[in-house]
Amino acid sequence: MRTSLKPEYFSISDTSGLPEFFKGVDIPFSLQAEPLKKELLHCYDTFDWKAWNKKNAIVLCCQRLNLVDLKNGSEIGSSPLRKAPQSFFPEDIAEEKTVSMLKTLSRLRAFIRLGSVKTEIATWRALDENQKTVASIELLSILQPKPSNAQKPLAYVRLNPVRGYPKELETLAECLKSNPAYSGKTTYQDFYTAVLDAVSSVPGSYSSKPSVKLKPGNTIQDSARELLLSTLEVIHANESWIPKNIDTEFLHDYRVAIRRTRSILAQLKGIFPPNELSRYKQAFRELGKRTNNLRDQDVYLLQAERFRNLLPAAMRDSLDSFFTDLRNQHKKELRTFSKYLGSENYRQFLQEWESFLKGNMSPDPDTTPDALRKTSDVAVSSIKKAWKKVIRHGRDISRVATDTELHALRIDCKKLRYLLEFYASLFPAKTLQMVIRQLKTLQENLGVFVDLSVQQNYLYSYLSNLECTADNIPFASSLGGLVTALYNERETVRMSFHDAFDTFDRQETEELFNELFNKHR
Amino acid sequence: MKTIALYSIKGGVGKTASAVNLAYLSSVSEPPTLICDLDPQGASSFYFRIVPNKKYSSKKFLKGNKKIYDNIKGTDFDNLDLLPADFSYRNLDIELLEEKKPQKKLKNNIKELNTEYPFIFFDCPPNLTLLSESVFTASDVILVPLIPTTLSLRTFEQLLDFFKECKLDTAKIKGFFTMFERRKAMHREIVEEYSGKKRFLRQIIPYNSEVEKMGIYRAPLNAVRPNVPAAIAYQELWEELMNEIEHRPTK
Repeated sequence: MRTSLKPEYFSISDTSGLPEFFKGVDIPFSLQAEPLKKELLHCYDTFDWKAWNKKNAIVLCCQRLNLVDLKNGSEIGSSPLRKAPQSFFPEDIAEEKTVSMLKTLSRLRAFIRLGSVKTEIATWRALDENQKTVASIELLSILQPKPSNAQKPLAYVRLNPVRGYPKELETLAECLKSNPAYSGKTTYQDFYTAVLDAVSSVPGSYSSKPSVKLKPGNTIQDSARELLLSTLEVIHANESWIPKNIDTEFLHDYRVAIRRTRSILAQLKGIFPPNELSRYKQAFRELGKRTNNLRDQDVYLLQAERFRNLLPAAMRDSLDSFFTDLRNQHKKELRTFSKYLGSENYRQFLQEWESFLKGNMSPDPDTTPDALRKTSDVAVSSIKKAWKKVIRHGRDISRVATDTELHALRIDCKKLRYLLEFYASLFPAKTLQMVIRQLKTLQENLGVFVDLSVQQNYLYSYLSNLECTADNIPFASSLGGLVTALYNERETVRMSFHDAFDTFDRQETEELFNELFNKHR
Repeated sequence: MKTIALYSIKGGVGKTASAVNLAYLSSVSEPPTLICDLDPQGASSFYFRIVPNKKYSSKKFLKGNKKIYDNIKGTDFDNLDLLPADFSYRNLDIELLEEKKPQKKLKNNIKELNTEYPFIFFDCPPNLTLLSESVFTASDVILVPLIPTTLSLRTFEQLLDFFKECKLDTAKIKGFFTMFERRKAMHREIVEEYSGKKRFLRQIIPYNSEVEKMGIYRAPLNAVRPNVPAAIAYQELWEELMNEIEHRPTK
């Protein structure tokens, strides 16, 4: 049994104060003013707006971090936090319940400070005949920076209920509404949006997934250019954050955007001039390569705790030097890559790429024979081709799947996934979602398998290069133990491959694909 | 959920003042906290300026959970709620007699509140009745305020005897001295002999006219006068009690 009290929000066009506001209104309570408060409000969310997307706001005010329900303004989590950090992870927070709530919002992405606003809060307590507070009314104004939109109300009123006094609250709300300066009921979300607007933050402005709405009748060349420009946007959105080393997902999204770019270039043949195409293909492959080590190190460091737990307690501490070494390597690698991101070469390359995508392209039947094909036709044929390839290769896999087979199938699946995501806007969302969900199960199996193989190989080669000294014995035995544990895990995953593939290779999935294709028959 | 009763057979020993101040301190350190005013005199309700809803009565109280829940009111202090006492509570004992297991009534009636309040305080009326027995079963700790006089000690002994007789858990009982006046030899001697011993807490609450003024402030002393000697003593007492609860073996 638990109810949380929900404040009510109103906007008013008069900021002179409540006693003035209520002048001439018959209000059955006396109002007692509390000292005026000026507070700094810090807003947090992940770079990809995980809190906002789940209808939550994260605000730090008066040394308390609050998780607020955007719909009704009620507080769903709260924890002390002295300073306003640039960013934090759930585990940096003190209060356990709030930590687990933040973890449900985001495990990998850090919560970043979006901005801070100076607010002024004037509070009045509404007292009954016993001088008991039955509600409190707060007049909230954003002092600095000012929201850009001049249409926004001048002040927000928050009517805070006190438990056990619902009728009094209702009376007070009615009194508020009867005033000419009352401009309407509003929500916490409106207030929070105004705060974000003041710090020039646009909720939901970033998503790593392509959000382009393609037109089925457009030429594939135009659609491909649109898609590539949108992945370029993702590349640009992440590049300035990577050097800050706030969380691993900036680099991850950056890499995915590169891979998506490469995937479009590789799969859509005959739509771009071959010379230019091969130049950009090569350049993006190299760009991707520059980030490989960094990503691997990120993955190992993210798994540090899991790796430790795979070993008996007595063998765990000797792994520390491995992770310290990894952290140092990561630092070095990040420095090198950040330098590259800031280089003229890099800037120029992306600029040329953008001009290429935005420039005039006159289709030539010899070099770009498919450029004028209808987007929907290409979408259907390329998805069909990629899907058939996954099925064909998957069915060819031997009873005990080999490493090479699984590696290759993983890449096939990735290609299919990217195509489905690129052309998502052309197909019915529900069917597409179901197809993606089934593909995802298979991809997870293959992903885990390949990750475990890579990790095992990396650790094994690290172990082989280890100096043969007496001091290294405990470390070497821990690494050996880890390699064995990862090997066992990988073999279990290998055994479950055929089950995972069967859930994808079945009548139901085929029907879903056909449903997609029929949309553009 | 931990339940703490402020109880004494004797009146005027500082039950309500202790309940109000300790509940306030609990609401600050272990929010949120509920204080149940079980005394028909409604002194703790008065301290918080709260009057019960017109339709609230001892009958509703005996129905429990949802009925209790709907009648809880927020005090003027964050995270501190109060279930006010109604004058009809004077009939609680007679009404309890008609219930099936009167001793377990209170415990069952507040069961569903445990998801909301880590700490619930009972401010009890001064007597030893069926309602008191129900409080004994429902409470994890029974705090007994004692003025350092022989008469107070005698009622404390009577309470212990009653517990033993009824095979109740005497480990729940913790006495502590209130209204201590250093200038009185008897106070000094009794405090010296009992304070911190088995079944007694170490911290004593000195006599302080500020405590009486709570009726004027109509607020916990620790909220409005946190630096007066009695408020400081209540703060220390709360810390000692928390420590006691944390280190107590669970049954």
